[in-house]
Amino acid sequence: MTAAEAIASEADRIIAARSKAKFAHSLIYIVVLAVAIWCIKTTIIDDTDWARLGSVANVLESIGEFLGVDWGLAATLWEPALETIMVATLGTLLGVVVCVPAIWFGALNITPYAPVTYPLARLMMTLSRSIHEIVWGLFFVAAVGLGALAGVLALAVRSVGFIAKMTAEAIEDLDQNPVEAIRAVGGSEFQVFIYAILPQVLPTMIGVIIFEWEINIRRSSILGLVGAGGLGLVFFRQLNTFNYPGVTTTILAVLILILFGEVVSYYVRKAII
Amino acid sequence: MSILSVKDLKVRYSASGPEILKGISFEVEADDFFAVIGPSGSGKSTLIRCINRLVEPKAGEIMLYGADVLALNSWGLRRLRRDIGMIFQEFNLVDRMSVMDNVLSGRLGYVSNFTALFRLFSKEDITRALSVLDRVGLSDHVDKRADELSGGQRQRVGIARALMQDPKLLLLDEPTSSLDPKISREVMGLIMEIAKEYKVPVLCNIHDVQLAMEFCNKIIGLQDGIKMFDGPTSKMNAKKLDEIYAMEVL
Repeated sequence: MTAAEAIASEADRIIAARSKAKFAHSLIYIVVLAVAIWCIKTTIIDDTDWARLGSVANVLESIGEFLGVDWGLAATLWEPALETIMVATLGTLLGVVVCVPAIWFGALNITPYAPVTYPLARLMMTLSRSIHEIVWGLFFVAAVGLGALAGVLALAVRSVGFIAKMTAEAIEDLDQNPVEAIRAVGGSEFQVFIYAILPQVLPTMIGVIIFEWEINIRRSSILGLVGAGGLGLVFFRQLNTFNYPGVTTTILAVLILILFGEVVSYYVRKAII
Repeated sequence: MSILSVKDLKVRYSASGPEILKGISFEVEADDFFAVIGPSGSGKSTLIRCINRLVEPKAGEIMLYGADVLALNSWGLRRLRRDIGMIFQEFNLVDRMSVMDNVLSGRLGYVSNFTALFRLFSKEDITRALSVLDRVGLSDHVDKRADELSGGQRQRVGIARALMQDPKLLLLDEPTSSLDPKISREVMGLIMEIAKEYKVPVLCNIHDVQLAMEFCNKIIGLQDGIKMFDGPTSKMNAKKLDEIYAMEVL
């Protein structure tokens, strides 16, 4: 077989292998599409009360009720808006404090006793993340009563999972060379942590905390639904009194608050990292 | 007859930043293996990246095969880049893709986005990829993932990718800096042979003066964005090298 023939037969082999891979890919797409259609059929087509939905005009009319702004309400929103931000900020700060042991236990390379402390930390993180903030809110409202304190606690507990997970994983992935260097100069494990680990993960950690704070503004603005204060409470009242322009006004206030959070976090991140 | 002529090239990355290149001129001919040497921070990488406009110069003129490079619109620029093969210091392969797909990516300038999305490369392209892989000595590694290869092998994939473009000029950006001395020499030797076979001129920015003297026929020496030397390798000597590298301590 000449070199040219060898290449030609090799090319045929590769083309065959590639079309086989493409066939497998198409199968995956078809399965995903089939699952999507099945879900649409069961959850949307069968489950919607089409008769009650009425015509397109009815739908548009219902949406139309939300158009318009209740300016009288807008002026009174300063206080709940401020409260929302305060709840978010306090919740994040408290979450960071609770995070510290979770991070320490949760990174495989620094955890004190891996068979016990590592699963414990992972459990904390999973528990924190797998329960919705509204459910945490209900839990703390039951525990400490209505008001902002329940909101702060709910957000703190809810924040632990994400901050601790991201930071612990950053610690696991970090560059081991500085760690080696600090060990080599005779540093203790604590000194290794302060000199070699912390400076490397600090940008990640701060970035994640700021991100979490931004998300917490969003969360705290709906926590009022379960009686934990802030804009959510206002929203709930407007909805219950059928004041739809008021609902829209509150939503706009939440939107402005979130935009504010994004702007602040953009500049803080740029300044720190 | 020069195929690439650069006149009074000036680069600054930001309006208030330092001038990286302070008016560089040189000419590359069709059979040149052209070296750009100089200490770190002298502007070698910036210079080479101006040729295919990965860096936009602030002033000057670049003529490549009679085309005014700096006047091209984005479509023209893609056409130009397609004709210029580039080989990088860190190889710049996509680690998670196979060697074959990395090499085929050299054809992207020739195929549509649709072809690229579904990886519908023609038999001709695949045959071509196999023969360039054979040429660089990687026939046995076609199906491997790029990150399974050693440094020298990875750079060979980089060379194969550049050859897929059917290049009319090769730009080498420190092609051997991530390799050990023995492999470096092999890789440079391979590039030199291939440049002769494909009759393609090479513009090579290189830190290792020994390799430059050994493989290149012409050299320009940069120091802090200024051209300190321009001539055939035979005219280069220890004293001139000392001048070029005088500021290395900075």
